[in-house]
This record gives sequence, structure tokens and C-alpha cells, in this order.
Amino acid sequence: MDDKDQMGTTTTMLATVAAFVLVLLAFYGLDHFIMAIQGLPLNLDLSPAG
Amino acid sequence: MNILAKTIGFSLALTLVFTSVTLLLPQVEGEAPVDEKVDLGALTMDDFVAMGERLFNNKGTCTLCHKPAPLGRAPDIAGLDMVATSSKRLADERYKGEAKDAEGYIRESLVDPSKYVVATWGKKGSNDSVSPMPAVNKAPILLSAMEMDAVIAYLQAKDGNEVTVSLPSPEAAAEVAAATPAQGSAAAPVLAATPEEALQKYTCAACHSMTSIDVLVGPGLSDVGARLSVDQIRQSIIDPNAVITEGFPAAMPADFAAKMTVKELEMIVNYLAEKKK
Amino acid sequence: MNNDTVQITGRNRIVLWISLVVALLFGSGGMNIAYAADAGVGSDSVEARIAPIGRVQIEGQEPIPENVVSKTEGEEKELIAAPRPSRGDYPDIGVSSRAVVWVLAQMHLFFAALVLAVPLFVLVIELMGFKTGDERYDDMAHEFMKISLTGFSITAIFGGSLALALFVLYPDLMGYMMRVFGAQWLVYAGLFFLESFFLYTYYYGWKAMRYGNLKWVHLTLGLLLNASGMTIMVLSNSWATFMMAPSGVNEVGAVIGNIWEVMKGPLWNPINLHRFIANIAFGGAVVGAYAAFKFLSTSDPAKRAHYDWMGYTSNFIAILAFLPLPFAGYWLMAEIYAYSQQMGITAMGGILAWLFIVQAVLIGTILLAGNFYLWSGMSRTEGSVRYQPLIKYIAFVLVICFLTWVTPHTLMLSASEIAELGGSHHHILGPLGIMPAKNIAVNLMLVVTFLSFQLYRRSDKIATVSWAKAGNALLVAIYVVAMVNIIFLGVYYGYFTNTVYKVGSSVAQVGSTLVVIIAGIVIDSLMFRNAKTLPSHWGRIPDRSQYALFALPIAFTWLMGLMGYVRSSVKTHWHVYTVMKDNSPDNFIPTIGYAGNMITIVTVLFLLFVLFMFWIANLSATKQSKPVGALEGGAG
Repeated sequence: MDDKDQMGTTTTMLATVAAFVLVLLAFYGLDHFIMAIQGLPLNLDLSPAG
Repeated sequence: MNILAKTIGFSLALTLVFTSVTLLLPQVEGEAPVDEKVDLGALTMDDFVAMGERLFNNKGTCTLCHKPAPLGRAPDIAGLDMVATSSKRLADERYKGEAKDAEGYIRESLVDPSKYVVATWGKKGSNDSVSPMPAVNKAPILLSAMEMDAVIAYLQAKDGNEVTVSLPSPEAAAEVAAATPAQGSAAAPVLAATPEEALQKYTCAACHSMTSIDVLVGPGLSDVGARLSVDQIRQSIIDPNAVITEGFPAAMPADFAAKMTVKELEMIVNYLAEKKK
Repeated sequence: MNNDTVQITGRNRIVLWISLVVALLFGSGGMNIAYAADAGVGSDSVEARIAPIGRVQIEGQEPIPENVVSKTEGEEKELIAAPRPSRGDYPDIGVSSRAVVWVLAQMHLFFAALVLAVPLFVLVIELMGFKTGDERYDDMAHEFMKISLTGFSITAIFGGSLALALFVLYPDLMGYMMRVFGAQWLVYAGLFFLESFFLYTYYYGWKAMRYGNLKWVHLTLGLLLNASGMTIMVLSNSWATFMMAPSGVNEVGAVIGNIWEVMKGPLWNPINLHRFIANIAFGGAVVGAYAAFKFLSTSDPAKRAHYDWMGYTSNFIAILAFLPLPFAGYWLMAEIYAYSQQMGITAMGGILAWLFIVQAVLIGTILLAGNFYLWSGMSRTEGSVRYQPLIKYIAFVLVICFLTWVTPHTLMLSASEIAELGGSHHHILGPLGIMPAKNIAVNLMLVVTFLSFQLYRRSDKIATVSWAKAGNALLVAIYVVAMVNIIFLGVYYGYFTNTVYKVGSSVAQVGSTLVVIIAGIVIDSLMFRNAKTLPSHWGRIPDRSQYALFALPIAFTWLMGLMGYVRSSVKTHWHVYTVMKDNSPDNFIPTIGYAGNMITIVTVLFLLFVLFMFWIANLSATKQSKPVGALEGGAG
């Protein structure tokens, strides 16, 4: 592989990792939000609160 | 033509697959509750408890929700010692009801389930203040007072506790029935022996609530003794159109005077005059 | 292009039309709100509203001044309780009255669903044709209308028969229902005149109002056809939901509210939404069967291409409408539980629970058939080759989830079987039988079905945007995390917390699925802007794929019948739940085997009637050629 391809591979890997982290956070927030609006609060580790 | 045959054949075959799935499953019929004639003269406590158990499993539809964890949607009362449990509940600081003993607690839970909701079993979002349980003496369950006594007896007896409810007297309810008060004109020329029997015979509950002031068709009668004098009550029955409570139509049957015996009339009048709260 | 003197520009026309639609919607919505406000719906508690307002007045005394607290419309009405027929009051015609009504009602509902759905997607397709200028859309829309036209009469025939059967066989119930609903049925009947008017002008005026301003008139007629059809549906839905969860009446069935309170029970809108979406899915499936049949019946490549496209469009409509259906169904069940926990548990935890296992079989069939058709369709394009490897994983997930969904929880076991099993439930498979596992299964199945969709839609395009790789990475992340989230929510809250959190977590699962669907649609529409299109060959699809298009409507039809059995049985031995008891000889819930037989009868009947409907459509286009030289052996 020449340099250009290697850059492309690293970028893709970074993009993938970044995407995963972002999406994980988004779904984490979604879980909290959806449970909260039903009156079912969660702790930070997603266990039922109170 | 060939395509048509293939289409129809495939469609029929798939349909039959679905049908056969249903035929392989356990076949259960959901029976409607039927009248059960009980000879009150010969009723023993054991029979009464057995009747309670039958009611618990069938007409009362208790086992629909009261099941062992994790399936149950309500406490597993069949599995718990209900007398001991009732004492615990009565001692709870959240308990705001009027019962004083196990029998009273269970009866209160049957007719007014939201009086005390066991923790975590309340309706979602109500913070355990509203119970999802229906009142069993109302539709769709409609257990009579005697049937509820039987269930209480069962719940007391099943763990070896003392049964504190008394057997129904033959003079009490006429029959253990799922029947509505007006079951055709088969109502007997049998003389009513108690006020409750008389009220049932003349189907007063079809229009008047006996336990609250809610309007069904006519005014609720749980406080009629406080509102009307004995004479006024008597007049309302034998000549309903003489004085009609404001806001109500002239819908009460006017032929009770012809149909009731004097004894039945007096029984009802005295009974209603006692209802003051 | 047009000879009309006054031309409203294209964009202004769209604005005008959208304004008209919005105005109609707001107008009707506003009326509803006004009525509701007038009736005080939701403002007072039930107790406050029915507290007695009278007092006793003794003759000869001074009349007490009237102190009327509230003057509701019901004040002048006599309070009449619901009738209480005894068994002898029910007419006996020698066969089960319930069976008769069952068949007629289900046939009516099948065809009503069809004729409500078809104009809906026909209108959308016609709009698309107008927007793109592609005549094929318009022609296909017209063809969809043509093949379903007879369906309207069939709906009416079954509706009339149903009404007759109901009034003859259940006179007390129908007398009561007429009393409760009052003049609403007149509105219902009147709407049929309107609907017929719009139907005939819409269909027969298709070619006469083909272009320009007249096309807008035509579209409006189509819109009004849909509006009247929709109104008819919500009116009749209120009868069914009233019987399940009565509102506007007191404990003994006397009417104490106005017609809006009677109609707007807790189940009305959930049923409206559920039937609206389900009708679309059902309608798409039925017309897809037509396309499949025509595809298989011809060897002309042009015709095969046409019917292949038609089949694809139908499947698209069916599966797209099917995806949100579980959520509408969930809302309906949640409202049933909220109204009466007893009714909810009868449906899903009591005697009818096994039914939902059968439902799993049916929906599994639908999803497998839909996916199979999409995968087969991949052979239309070269660009699909890059996605072929994913299919086996999707299939694997579908099968595993299907098996999970089908696993029952509570089995009827004899004592020896319990001993063998080591308990009342299987120690490994048992946990798969309860709701958390099933919710995981359903949501995953929907996610991978959407994936099949998305892959198919992509397979004739190559993205040309610079951020394509990042976009794909994002999509992959969304799919993976969503699926993990669905599994986590189901397992953790389902098995390790209490009931309330368990139920609540299913909403979050649904949310995850919706995120996947919405994100997929949004990202793809952005990513494939100005994409390079690869050639796609309509008609190049294996014949066996068309059987998927037959499986869809059969499964849908059977499923509708099954759900009708649930809806009716969940009322147990009541005509109108808690208010009017059913005292007929058929007042028991029939066994599931009996129901299965009834459902199969109506499904087969429906199949025959639909074949008739399609045949008539073809017949109208057939022309017998004039016999040549009539002397030898010809007609005299």
C-alpha cells in the first residue's frame, strides 16, 4: 500500500472509532431520556434509581 | 391456468399451515360464569371454603393477576399466609384504611383496592397510590357479598388460620349466581325473607346504588335514611310519582304497591331507613 | 405546454394545495376540540359530573329555588340502563349466530381495509408521478384503482349483510347501540354517498383530468375520497372500541355524556392509528399478489418488467407500513392495560396468551417473505453484489429472533411432564418465553428488515459525496450500537429489575429501532445525492420470489382474522364490557382451534373474492374479437 492508502485506512479507522463513541453516547442519552419521561429515573450506570 | 392453480395451491397450503398451528395448541374454552345453586341449609364451612377456592380460580378471576413472581401482576396471595400478611399491612404506616383485622383488610382490598396499595404494585406513574385492581363487587367481576365472604374464608383457611366469616344463612342471598338481578320473569313468587332478598327480587339495584350516592338511573340510596323519613321512603316506593327528586325523570316503576307484600315493603322501608351514611 | 390561460406556477400550486390540506385538517381538528371543550371532556372527574343534583321537594312546601350546577346535554335525556336480555331473548336461526356475524364482519373488514388503503397509496403514487413527470407512476396508480374498484361494492355488500345479521340476531344489543350512538350512524350512512361520489369522479375522471389545473382537481378528489373513507373508518371504529371500553355511559349503561364522550374512549385513537397503518400494509400486500400473478402469467419482457416494478412497489408499501405497526399495536395494548389490567392480562397473560405465539408465526412469515423478496430483488442490479455477503447474517438474525419469539412460556403440562421437565417451565428456554425476550426479538427483526431495505435501495447507486466513508461508518455504528442497546435493555431491565422498569424499557427499545430507521433514511438521502446510478433491470428476478408476494397477503389476512378473534374475545362474556352482559348461547370464548378454522374459512373466502375482483378488472379490459366470416358454423 502506498502512503495515500495508508492515510485512508487510518482515517477510516479513526472515523469508525469516533462514530462508535458518538453513537454510544447518543444511545446512552436516549435510554436516560426515554426512561425519564415515563417517570422511571436511572442512575449513571443505568440501574433503576430510587 | 397453471399459474392460477399454483397460486391457489400455494395460498391454501400456507393457510393450512397456520390453521394446523392453532390445532396443535392446547384448546381452552373461556366459559362464561354460570349460576350455581347452593343449598344454604346444608352448607358446611368446608363447602364454603371450597366454594371460595372455586371463586378464587374462576369467577373471581383472581389468578389472572395474583400469580407467583415473576409472572404476577399482583402479590401472590395464594402463596402467602394472608392472615399474617394482613397484619403486616395493617401495621404499615402507609395504611390509611378502616380495617381492624385480617378479614376486614381483605374485604376492604376487594371492594376498594386503592385504599392501600402494596409497595411497587401500583399503577405506573401513580407512585403506588392507585391500584390496577378492579373492585370485585362491581362489573365485570360482580361478586356478591356472600361470594366475597367465601373467598375470604378460603384465604383464611388455606394456611390453617381461623376462619372468621360466618356461613351465609339460608335467609340471606337467594342463590350464588352470576345472574343479574333481572333474570327474565323467572323471579319466583317466593316470598323474600330478608331485606337483601327483597331488594334483589324487585331489582332495585338496577337503578339505585345501595353503597354510594352515585346516580345510576335514580338517586343513590346509601344515605337515604338521613334524607327521607320512613313515611317518605314508603311513599317513594308505593307511589313513586307523587314526589320525584328534582332532576330525575319519572322512570321508577309504579306497580310495586301491587306486587309487593306488606311484609316485603316494610322490610325494605326499615332497611333503607337505617342507611344514613 | 398547457392551453389554459391562467397558469398558477408549479410551486405556488403546491403551496396552495398544501394550505388546503392543512386548513381541512385544522378545521376538522378545531371542530373536535371545540366540541370537546364544550362537553368539558377531561375537565371534571367522573364523580363530579354524575353527582346527584336534585333534592326532595314535599308537596305544599315553598318551591326551593333551582340551583342548577351544570347543564350538560344529557340533562333532558331520560337515563335508560342497558338492556339485560335473557338467553331466550336471543333469536335462534339454527346455526351459531356468532359464527354468522363473525364471517360477515371479517369479510367486511377485509374489504373495507383494502378499499381504504388503496386510494391512500394511489394518491401518493399519483403525486409522485406528477412531481417527477414520469407517466409510469400515474399509469400504475390508475391500474391500482382499477383492480380494486369492485372491492368497494363487495365491501358494501358485506356491510349490508353484516348490518342485517346484527339487527336480526342481536336485536337487544343493536337497540342499545343505536340508542347510545344516536344520530352518529346517520352521519356514517351519509358519508357513503360522499365517498361514492368522490370514488366515481376520481376513477372515471382519471383520463379527463390528466394534466395542468385539472390534475389538481383530480388530486383533490382523491384527497377527499381518502378523507371520507378515513372518517367512515373512525366512526365505525368507535363502535368497536365502545364495546371494549365504554365511555360516556354510567355503570349500568345509561348515556350520561354527549356523542364525543361516547366516541372518544381510551381505545379509540389507538385503534384508529393501528387500523390506519395496518390497512396500508394490507392493501399493499393484496395488490402485490396481483402483480405477482400477472408477472408469472406473462413471458413478454416488457410486461414482466412492468409487473415486477408493480410488485416491488407493492412490497415496498406493505413492508414500509408494516415497520411501525408493532408500535401502534403496543400503544393499543398499553391503553388496554391502562383501562383494565384484567382485560390486558386476559389478552396476553391469560386464556388468549397462546394466540400471540400464533401471531409470532404469522409475523415471522411476513418478515421472512418480505426480506426474501428484497434479497431476490437484488439480482436486478449489479451494484447489489457488494451487499450479498450480508444477507446470510440478516437471515441468521431473522431465524434466531423468530424462534425466540415463537417460544412459549407457560405450557399445559401433566404431572409427569412437569417431573421430566424439572419444573413448570424449561430452565433454559423458559426465560425466552416472556416479554423481554420477545421485545428483543421483534425489534431486532425490524432493524434487520430495514437493513435489507436499505441495502436494496443502495444497490443501484454509488455515492459520490466526499464524506461517504464517514457516513457509512456512522451508519454501521448506529446499527451495531442500536442492536446492542436493544439486547441490553431487554436483558437487563427485563430480567434483573422490576415489572415497571421492564415495561418501560420496551419503549426505549422501540426508540432505538426508530433511530435506526430515521437515521438510515436521512443519511442515505443525503449521501446519495447526485449519486452515480447503476443499471437496474426490472423483470430480472427469479420466479420463486413472486411466491413471497403471495405469502404476504395470506399471512396478513390470517393475522387480521386472528387479531379480530382477540379483540372480540377480550371482552369475555360481555357485549359491552362491564355494561351489557352477553347472555347468548355463544357467550364463551371459543377455543383457538375453532377460531383457527373460522379464520381459515374467511381467509379462503377472501382469496376467492379477491380473485373474482382481479378477474373482473381483467375482464373489463378484454375484448372479444368479432368472428370472421360467420357462415360456416358461426352464429346465425
